[in-house]
Amino acid sequence: MTDSTPLSDFRPVRSGLMTGALDDLASVGLAGSRCRACGETTLGANTLCPNCGSDDVFPIALSDEGKVWTYTVVRYRPPGDYKGAEPFQPFAIGLVELPEGLRVVAPVGGDPDAVRIGMTVRFTARARADGVVEFVYNPAA
Amino acid sequence: MKDVVIIGAGIHAFGRFDKTAEEIGSHAARMALADAGLAWSDIQASYLSRMYLPATSGARILRKLGGTDMPIVDIEAACASGGAALRQGVLAIRSGECDVVMVLGAEKMPRGFMDPRMIYADWQIEMGLSLNPSYWSMRAMRHMHEYGTTDLQIAKIAYKNHRNSVHNPNAMYRKEFSLEEILGSPLVCDPIRRLEICAPDDGAAAVVIASADYARKIGARAPITIAGSVHTIARYSADFRCPADSMSATANNEGPTEVTARKAYEQAGLGAEDVDCFEVQDTDAFCELEIYEELQMCPVGEGGRLIDEGVTEITGKHPVNMSGGLISKGEPVGASHLGQVVEIVSQLRGESGARQVEGARVGLAHVLGAGGNCAITILRK
Repeated sequence: MTDSTPLSDFRPVRSGLMTGALDDLASVGLAGSRCRACGETTLGANTLCPNCGSDDVFPIALSDEGKVWTYTVVRYRPPGDYKGAEPFQPFAIGLVELPEGLRVVAPVGGDPDAVRIGMTVRFTARARADGVVEFVYNPAA
Repeated sequence: MKDVVIIGAGIHAFGRFDKTAEEIGSHAARMALADAGLAWSDIQASYLSRMYLPATSGARILRKLGGTDMPIVDIEAACASGGAALRQGVLAIRSGECDVVMVLGAEKMPRGFMDPRMIYADWQIEMGLSLNPSYWSMRAMRHMHEYGTTDLQIAKIAYKNHRNSVHNPNAMYRKEFSLEEILGSPLVCDPIRRLEICAPDDGAAAVVIASADYARKIGARAPITIAGSVHTIARYSADFRCPADSMSATANNEGPTEVTARKAYEQAGLGAEDVDCFEVQDTDAFCELEIYEELQMCPVGEGGRLIDEGVTEITGKHPVNMSGGLISKGEPVGASHLGQVVEIVSQLRGESGARQVEGARVGLAHVLGAGGNCAITILRK
């Protein structure tokens, strides 16, 4: 075993959720799907449109930059198999509105008490020690 | 369509007990039978509402009452399980197959936040997106942003419900808290605080329902008509308190309470202005505030004004959660709606003592939860 995780061990936190090369985190983005029938955009690679049920759905890339539509601060350790910082640190989660017309549920990085509705945030892929690539929206510089 | 009436109601207190689900469930069922003046052998079908209890819990609980040839079915629809089970009972009677049915809600839940695996995907749990109150809290944050709803208005709802619970022997917490204590309690997920949120617990509640003809035939005491019984799951993206991974920024589908209320009012042939008392899903205090708007007690954005003006107090125009709500009773998920129904029955019979709404003739019970599940039962004297 080496100290660093072998590149081949990187895997997405959920299959179909990300685009790009997982061993090059800067290239990673969120996958989206758009329905040709009703125009609805959804998160991840989907074969059915949850809005209208059509199977005429095609992949689209989702923008990295979005705005916080709403948020909260999680001040207690989430139950179950939570893989965040130990000991637990309060963190913000939000619904981040992307220009493609959807709001993604995601952690928001930085000082949780500094998050505000309307704030511009940017998609950032991050690798956990176990090789799983997850994501966070960080405040835009 | 056959009129369906409640002829018996029973409840086991909500709280923490060193008793099995069979014990608390059969307690509520026996109490409902005694209230109806019927024997277990008179019942023709039974439905159990539960979420945490294991498979065949309906049979496990009810066989305590004696052998039976009837169908006993467990029903699960998250926090709306009780409404879904009651609806099955109503349909069994409306179909003409049954004259008299038992609908029981029972639950025993572990302490702490709800088990996330029941409603979230693994990746959401790993990333910390699985704390139930966080979704309700995000709704509160947006409402405050759009309509200027305040922390104080949210706290006032918790204050009202805790105060009402003092008069409810079946509530888990029967303690009044000051606004200062509520606003000083720790934040769980901003802006929702510890004393503004409901806890999981144990409890059971049951009703015996019958066709109006059957009720007349046996000379039932004070039958209460089920004027509306509706369960729905909201459309795509209609409500982000359901733990979806993304929501639409463009689709504007009707939310779970809005669609269920529209159908229930239509079925009952009445509107919010005709309802004398409400028991609603106060998973947290903000949730109740928003439900004022979604049940059409006031226009959208004005829920805060209703609590400020005392409209939802027991003495107000639209009393809400006379029982103390889930904030003080706790939420034994499978039992919570039947508990609301038992409270409304007591109100319409004029048997609620210090928490009685004067002259109540119509009452509404509402539950809402994961997956966009919502159920509403409207009762009429």
